[in-house]
Amino acid sequence: MVMVNTGSKVVVADSDRTVLELLQIRLDVAGYHACVARNGPAVLETLKYLRPSALVIDVALAEMNGFEVLEALSRRPERLPPTLVVGRKLAAEDITKALSLGARDCMTKPFSGADVLDRIGRLVRDPGLGVPARRVQWIDA
Amino acid sequence: MESRLDASLASTLDVLAWEVELAGARSIFLDSVIGEMMKVIPETDQGRFVEAMHTVDLLSQQLTSLSAFTRRLSSVAPTGSSVAVGEALGDITLGALADRMASALGAEERGINERDEAGDLDLF
Repeated sequence: MVMVNTGSKVVVADSDRTVLELLQIRLDVAGYHACVARNGPAVLETLKYLRPSALVIDVALAEMNGFEVLEALSRRPERLPPTLVVGRKLAAEDITKALSLGARDCMTKPFSGADVLDRIGRLVRDPGLGVPARRVQWIDA
Repeated sequence: MESRLDASLASTLDVLAWEVELAGARSIFLDSVIGEMMKVIPETDQGRFVEAMHTVDLLSQQLTSLSAFTRRLSSVAPTGSSVAVGEALGDITLGALADRMASALGAEERGINERDEAGDLDLF
């Protein structure tokens, strides 16, 4: 089933090309406009010019990790876009750190394309609401 | 491609799961394109397209299920067991796929990442 999201822009940052292409296709089919980045500096550069409806960022990015990117973005005057932090084996302190840096939601890899699309949809529809950290840990356990 | 490359069984299954998931996403894309085409073709010609849509839908479900299965196997794979993946990677004739998998499994990339090169067949 194709959902129409009227071209909401979503920036996806991951160093894994398979994950990037997977999310790009799933987002395109769902009606989003996906912009991809493979490293931290590319995310910072992209967000200089683009105001996406959501940002999906992997913790283990090359050159600057996901946390460093969020720290750098928090020093900018613009508001951080609704952000989903993803990563392998996210520990409780990683989730706490991500949320303290302004992320709205966290998700542990591996995930299915459908699951991550659902989380992105929630962020875009209701950017002010994230999933509370305790619930995130329970979901991803 | 490094023919003597070893990788952990869990990582190998995980990389495979991602690739199967990606194949599933591609079939979902095809499904959506066929759906779009259905809107503009005459009703009398729609039979084959309906058949194609069902086939692609079945394919995407099959791939999604296989991805979940492989991912589950990856999560329960015994720690410390490894498999020789080098020669198997050499059997993949789709350059971009081989490159992505090799990179994810710790081998050197050949740098194939452009869409134009993604479908090359190393047959000649």
